[in-house]
Amino acid sequence: MSQDFASSTASLASTNAIPNAPPKMTGDKVCVFYGEKQALFDVDLKIVANQVTSLIGPSGCGKSTFLRSLNRMNDTIEGCRVAGKISLDEDDIYDPSIDVVELRARVGMVFQKPNPFPKSIYENVAYGPRIHGITKNKAEMDELVHSSLRRAGLWNEAKDRLNEPGTGLSGGQQQRLCIARAIATKPEVLLMDEPCSALDPIATAVIEELIDELRENFTIVIVTHSMQQAARVSQKTAFFHLGKLIEEGKTEDIFTNPRNKQTQDYITGRIG
Amino acid sequence: MTDAAMNSTSAAMGARTTSRRDFGLKKRHRAEALFRFYGVAAITIGLLFLVLLLGSIISKGYTAFVQTSITVPVEFTAAIIDKDNKRATDPKVLVSANYPVVARNAVAKALGVSPDDKAAMKDIAQFVSDGSRSILRQIVLADPSVVGTTRPVTLLAAADIDSANKGQIDLSVTEDKRKVSDLQVAWLNTLKSQGAISTPFNWGLLTFGASSRPETAGLGVALIGSLYMMAIVLFSALPIGVAASVYLEEFAKKNRFTDFIEVNINNLAAVPSIVFGLLGLAVFINFFGLPRSAPIVGGMVLALMTLPTIIIATRAALRSVPPSIRSAALGIGASKMQMVFDHVLPLATPGILTGTIIGLARALGETAPLLLIGMVAFVANTPNTPFDPATALPVQIYMWTNEAERAFVERTSGAIIVLLVFLALMNIIAIVLRRRFERRW
Repeated sequence: MSQDFASSTASLASTNAIPNAPPKMTGDKVCVFYGEKQALFDVDLKIVANQVTSLIGPSGCGKSTFLRSLNRMNDTIEGCRVAGKISLDEDDIYDPSIDVVELRARVGMVFQKPNPFPKSIYENVAYGPRIHGITKNKAEMDELVHSSLRRAGLWNEAKDRLNEPGTGLSGGQQQRLCIARAIATKPEVLLMDEPCSALDPIATAVIEELIDELRENFTIVIVTHSMQQAARVSQKTAFFHLGKLIEEGKTEDIFTNPRNKQTQDYITGRIG
Repeated sequence: MTDAAMNSTSAAMGARTTSRRDFGLKKRHRAEALFRFYGVAAITIGLLFLVLLLGSIISKGYTAFVQTSITVPVEFTAAIIDKDNKRATDPKVLVSANYPVVARNAVAKALGVSPDDKAAMKDIAQFVSDGSRSILRQIVLADPSVVGTTRPVTLLAAADIDSANKGQIDLSVTEDKRKVSDLQVAWLNTLKSQGAISTPFNWGLLTFGASSRPETAGLGVALIGSLYMMAIVLFSALPIGVAASVYLEEFAKKNRFTDFIEVNINNLAAVPSIVFGLLGLAVFINFFGLPRSAPIVGGMVLALMTLPTIIIATRAALRSVPPSIRSAALGIGASKMQMVFDHVLPLATPGILTGTIIGLARALGETAPLLLIGMVAFVANTPNTPFDPATALPVQIYMWTNEAERAFVERTSGAIIVLLVFLALMNIIAIVLRRRFERRW
């Protein structure tokens, strides 16, 4: 039965998800506070390597907050505090010995609104590798920029205009440029915060296809408001509600056979 | 689907048009028209005053940019310049020689006046400027062999003759009540008919230092003083201001202390400039013992005064950079410093430059603090370093308004025009820079 569902909704997501693969990132009793207000309550979540994990839930449920705590983007918010433990492989990312710069080079991020730098397409992609010293010379940099653009599916559209500003691209192209920029630093994990919410359905389809391809090389965590999107691109789904992780599991299980009443209500459109 | 049905719909439509609801549209349109009228009226009044101001300054001041000059053959008489014939051994005699007499004799000869006619020579002395001294001296010092020969030289006319030539002196007034005698007017006309009178561009207005004779008074010292001060303001206030605002805006924790600093910066921007002058006098001159009247002190005082303006403008510019750019930079692992210097500052540059130039323009026109640190002084010599005494453009204008002579009136207006040109140039540069660096995101 679950197979039936998967074939109908998860057309892109392959169904051969490894059930007991070692987690790439682990959240252990993660609590996040904004000042006095607690936004996340004891979230335990394992993010499996080379899979797409989607975080779903109604607005304000804490899914973006959880995503942003995975690469410590929450640090930039005044008064934000994280309790519990999040680890990347074996490293506690909130340990004082971890430099946030290194963490973010390993855990890249794509934002809700395409936010290319107001520089050339080439510079947008080259900036990350340059500050991290990933390439040794111009030829290597060229190669890295080209391959990143190719993997982000932007090469054909961008190859003749590498020196034109990235802000001159269309919304969907800009978002793919941001993905190219994120993967150019060769991260291990790629966080995506509603990457398609500002895009039209065609651009969305292109990005979704891209996410499925990127899974081979990256561990991907995606926040989405669209349950169809979660079903299409992810192997694992976590449902958040009011700051709590309600249910997590294989995407097809969550969508066909949710254990929790709230999850069922949400995916059938009764709450949210 | 019948005519009746059609009719009933159109009737309903008609009924809807006749019983239109009253949205108060008439009143709204009237209010808008009235507001537009107020706006246009306000702009018209503003423009009118601008035209009046500029018109009065330019009409009074444009004549300052030309100077009546007399071109006559000048006999460099050895007996006057070097009566003991020592110039071969002692070149100093050529410096201190009595050049005004040479100039007077040349003009007298051109007018057919005998050098022995004491009364006429007195009038001649008031006809040609004493400032001709330096013109002749320069010629002789450049080439001492000119002594004993005759060559045509362009001499400056005295200020009153200059005014008369520009038609600024009412000749219908009786002779004893005006500064130019009938004889001098006749001479002026004679020389004009000879083609000896010309009105070339008055470079002296931009190069000469202070002088009690209007025709040799210029803005040279004031321009250099202002230039030194602008450079000092730019190179001290801009880096300090940008560093302070970047730290406050991007790095400092928001707490009571930074709030307190912010309030104080805003207050400093509102402190009257004369208070900064007092501060400069107390700190730089009395405590640190820096020289009075020096552009270095003036520049530092103006830098203190400009600093809050630059900090406020820079912080506003930094704040206007969208947070998405910061997230993007941080998200790919840029450090805070890299985020600021690679992305935020370049995007804030137009705003920072605009604020800086507006601050500089304000500093350029500032007078009050300079009066307190002694920059209101009679400085005839060009300052070579910022530690030498100098004046500034607005102070020079202030000093010239205190002079009585007619020729200083036009020079005051001329100096105002020069100041306004510099201010306009700076504002244009600000606009051009903003356009050039402006980027969309």
